Amino acid sequence: MNGIFAAVFLLSAALFLLFDPNGFLPAMLTGGQKAATLSLSLLAVYCVWLGFFKVLEKSGLAAKLTRAAMPATRRLFRTTDEQALFFAGSNMAANFLGLPGAPTPLGIKATERFLRAGNGYAADMLFVLNATSLQLLPTTVIALRLAAGSSAPADIFLPTLISTLVSTLLGGILVWLLSKRKRK
Amino acid sequence: MNVAAYLVPALFVLLFLFALVRKIKLYDCFVDGVKEAVPLVLTLFPYLAAVLILSELFEQSGLAAFITRLLAPCFRLVGVPTEIAPLLLIKPFSGSGSTAILSEILETYGADSYIGRCAAVCYGSSETVFYISAVYFAGSAKKRLLLPTAIALFANFAGAVLGCLLCRFL
Repeated sequence: MNGIFAAVFLLSAALFLLFDPNGFLPAMLTGGQKAATLSLSLLAVYCVWLGFFKVLEKSGLAAKLTRAAMPATRRLFRTTDEQALFFAGSNMAANFLGLPGAPTPLGIKATERFLRAGNGYAADMLFVLNATSLQLLPTTVIALRLAAGSSAPADIFLPTLISTLVSTLLGGILVWLLSKRKRK
Repeated sequence: MNVAAYLVPALFVLLFLFALVRKIKLYDCFVDGVKEAVPLVLTLFPYLAAVLILSELFEQSGLAAFITRLLAPCFRLVGVPTEIAPLLLIKPFSGSGSTAILSEILETYGADSYIGRCAAVCYGSSETVFYISAVYFAGSAKKRLLLPTAIALFANFAGAVLGCLLCRFL
């Protein structure tokens, strides 16, 4: 990330210097402003979902669901840490359902626990699964197509599902292959 | 059609009823959960700021447009229409930026055109990779982010190529 940051930043800044020196600071400030407003809306979303997930945890339902999913999640993430598997499992469930904002706090907590236990493989796996999109119903896209006057806004459902499944599988397999090679 | 609309309230009602049956102090418990929201956002904020400032520079400097032009022949080679190249390039950096580009493409070429459908599928099957990597690994000492990020970018690109192919038949 440090390399990418330096390269993209310097190249962009050089372009500003050459063509539009006055645009440089406003562009950065727009970025900062977006970070500030996004953080506030994230705070609002996390209030709702972290409250929800705490109730889920305390009610004992979380443990049940986690144990039910454990045969699969235990193999996927190579750990038996129930707390971490609860976070990772609910992260994936929230992703599938497309609950807006819910996957992120869960993903962060799962990643923290994975890394604290020295399980870099599980953190990478969870990240790649998240970053290749697990959402089953592309609600934003359907809404946008409806707004643009599509006659059948949901007809991209099948190609989207197939290509997101393939990209997620491909990502997962690559992480798995990588961990195999590293262990040798 | 809108399953999600029923899903969220139903989830809350079912869970809270279950918690009541289990004699959980709902109010105290909910408050306990919300307490974690502020520290979480505080740890995220510096990473969000850095990534968003960077993506703003990337877009507004014209670097994004330049790289798009540079990569256009490669995109055409694998069957991705060049019109949606900006979308594929911005998506890993910015969710709101790519949403704006998608609605622009839908307006310009029509939501039911081949290009419009390709753009919709590519948008729906990928994620904001850099944003997620910044947020998920925020505060962790993990330095080796490059490989998982590269894997995610590659997998998303493969998904986009496949999506454009599928749009020709489905």
